[in-house]
Amino acid sequence: MNTIPVIINDKKLDVDPGKTILEVCRENDIEMLTMCHLKGVMDIGACRLCLVEVEGANKLMSACTTRVNANMIVRTATDKIKRYQRITTELFFAERNHVCSVCVANGKCELQQLGYKVELDHIRYPHLFPQCEVDTSHPWYVMDHNRCIMCTRCVRVCTEVEGAHNWDVMNRGHQVRIISDFNTPWGESITCTSCGKCLHACPTGAIWPKAIVQGQLEKKPEMLSELMEKRKMKL
Amino acid sequence: MNRHDLKTIIYAEKTKEENNKYRHKICVCCGASCISSGSEEVMKKLQEEIKTRGLENEVEVVPTGCMGPCNQGPLMKFLPEYNIYQKIDCSNISAIVQSQLTEKKPIEDLLLFADSREKPFLDAQEDPFFKKQMKIALRNCGHINPERIEDYLVHNGYQALDKVLFEMSPEEVIAEIKQSRLRGRGGAGYPTGFKWETVYKYVSDQKYVICNGDEGDPGAFMDRSVLEGNPHRVLEGMAIAGYAVGASKGYAYIRGEYPLAIKRFELAIKQARKMGLLGNNILGTSFSFDIEVRIGAGAFVCGEETALIASIEGKRGTPRPRPPFPAESGLWGKPTLINNVESFAAISPIINNGGEWYSEIGTPKSAGTKVFALAGKIKYSGLIEVPMGTTLREIVFDIGGGMQNDADFKAAQTGGPSGGCIPAEHLDVKMDYESLVSLGSIMGSGGLIIMDKSSDMVDVARYFMEFCMDESCGKCVPCRVGTRMMHDLLQKICDNKGTQIDLNRLEELAVYVKETSLCGLGGSAPNPLLSTLRHFRQEYENRIVKHD
Repeated sequence: MNTIPVIINDKKLDVDPGKTILEVCRENDIEMLTMCHLKGVMDIGACRLCLVEVEGANKLMSACTTRVNANMIVRTATDKIKRYQRITTELFFAERNHVCSVCVANGKCELQQLGYKVELDHIRYPHLFPQCEVDTSHPWYVMDHNRCIMCTRCVRVCTEVEGAHNWDVMNRGHQVRIISDFNTPWGESITCTSCGKCLHACPTGAIWPKAIVQGQLEKKPEMLSELMEKRKMKL
Repeated sequence: MNRHDLKTIIYAEKTKEENNKYRHKICVCCGASCISSGSEEVMKKLQEEIKTRGLENEVEVVPTGCMGPCNQGPLMKFLPEYNIYQKIDCSNISAIVQSQLTEKKPIEDLLLFADSREKPFLDAQEDPFFKKQMKIALRNCGHINPERIEDYLVHNGYQALDKVLFEMSPEEVIAEIKQSRLRGRGGAGYPTGFKWETVYKYVSDQKYVICNGDEGDPGAFMDRSVLEGNPHRVLEGMAIAGYAVGASKGYAYIRGEYPLAIKRFELAIKQARKMGLLGNNILGTSFSFDIEVRIGAGAFVCGEETALIASIEGKRGTPRPRPPFPAESGLWGKPTLINNVESFAAISPIINNGGEWYSEIGTPKSAGTKVFALAGKIKYSGLIEVPMGTTLREIVFDIGGGMQNDADFKAAQTGGPSGGCIPAEHLDVKMDYESLVSLGSIMGSGGLIIMDKSSDMVDVARYFMEFCMDESCGKCVPCRVGTRMMHDLLQKICDNKGTQIDLNRLEELAVYVKETSLCGLGGSAPNPLLSTLRHFRQEYENRIVKHD
């Protein structure tokens, strides 16, 4: 296949056209922070962590949704981008009630890891402490909205991988919530197949199985990506 | 119906008009604003009055769209004298009709602006409110009955569509629009001709034209008035766009809060279909185009083009990253042209009079006219249309009649929650795209709110931030959480509890949200804050708790 030249962080690379900037960076060991991206399902460019500077563009571009062009010049780790990544992380933590020490995902949480990566030592914005529900109506699983960061990976996995579309989003702005069916308790859902894929898609401790305690949580988001990869090959 | 039939109808209507048996025409404003102040009752009473006096054969009573001075409603206009009466009370109607039609002289005390001007102008066209205006998009608003297609046909209606279908190729239409230098009236000001050309160039079995009527800025009602006052003009513009870009289907996305606009636009579609001006083989040509109305459900973000498309597709109205732009992959993945109501309303005059004519109006970079919804602490608020480059001073003091109670002008807010505030020292700014951007504001869709000294600019910023916070779709983090954080910080400063650190954080967040948000809503949400910080920083500093 023909490749096209791109320059990322002053390094010249020959890449396959049609790939996104994020894919190219990951393949070439350029570190990219992401939260809403999950390989295999549709990218939506919502978390704004993978923003990069593209020469000639009048705004920052989300790497997950921007495809590479020939001779594109991309910078992924400028001071400005690092500063913005830190603010985004702070806003994630300040938005809902994230308390790592009592969270089932402690040590396995992508948000926690993000905090380490951007060297977050404190949060400068006031915590909003919203009152969020914990939905324990499902016999096996729990949905804790306090720990949800609205990445909507569960929504996309449920729709695109499982085909059930149990999850969706309601409300607007800071009041958005993930809902099961038409905002009914998860246990009463008529679309949920209890497949558990959303558990693996969730980057935080928002969705977890009831049968475990802290330290036992296993998340395998790569399993979902492999599944989609195999399906593509079959086609 | 073919071209000949259309000409016959127009001829018949025109002859009827010329051999007018009526000596007088009385227009009663039936726009949403005048209806809310009772113009439907006035209309009814007036008809009864005419009947009792046995003048049915001499006087024609016409319900029209918006005439302009909305806060003086209900309005009633006598033609050919051009006497406009304001704040009509049903008890006055008899006296007005008596004086105007029998005694042939107007009652000066009841004329437009009689209560605020030393002497009202008998011919309202001489009044500075109208004299300084130039009506292109609103040309027939307030003159014709928006619910009768024949009224529009008599006023050169559908002549532009006829012209493009029989005399012009799509390339020529696009060239004409390009020559006119018309720019998108929705706010961003992207050159309309280039947008059309981009859509035209994509090859696809199906393309779409969308009219964006999801006007959501607080204080803005331009699109509503155009749709209510002259729906056929917008419809014609859409059909011409469809012909130019090669689309056969159009959608008009109108916000649900505009029931009258929806009703009149749907009626216009029905009438146009019946006349063969919409549907298959328009005027007997091979061009087919049809329009459907989609009603918005009250989300401000659905005015953003990608969110609007998602909403038409039946999905949750959230924006998606661009590129791909709608011109390449829009509605159902097909090339899609999206223009604002006012942009479409400008199309048929451009075709009829030529692009050159339009490009000579206004300023070199911003051609044509712009409709503004004038509101706030100003004497005469309402709907106005002025050439681009008219100064803010002319709008406020000549057209708007100056400030209420002769208070001092403090600031003008343009562009709604995406715009900014222009302070008094910039009263002589020319109202065009570039000049407003250079002052940290934007043209926006045309909302223009005038404020006097009683307005607290920190509170103004807080109000617009609250609006953006509530209307953020919640998809991307900067907009969802950032607007909430900025709002809370602004509230803190409003409560006189803010500190210098809060102000610094506020500024940092504002720039962050502006640069990192997914769509234009988040990208412009900090504008009211940034522009008030730029021009009224002292007000913020005065509110801050000082530690000494």
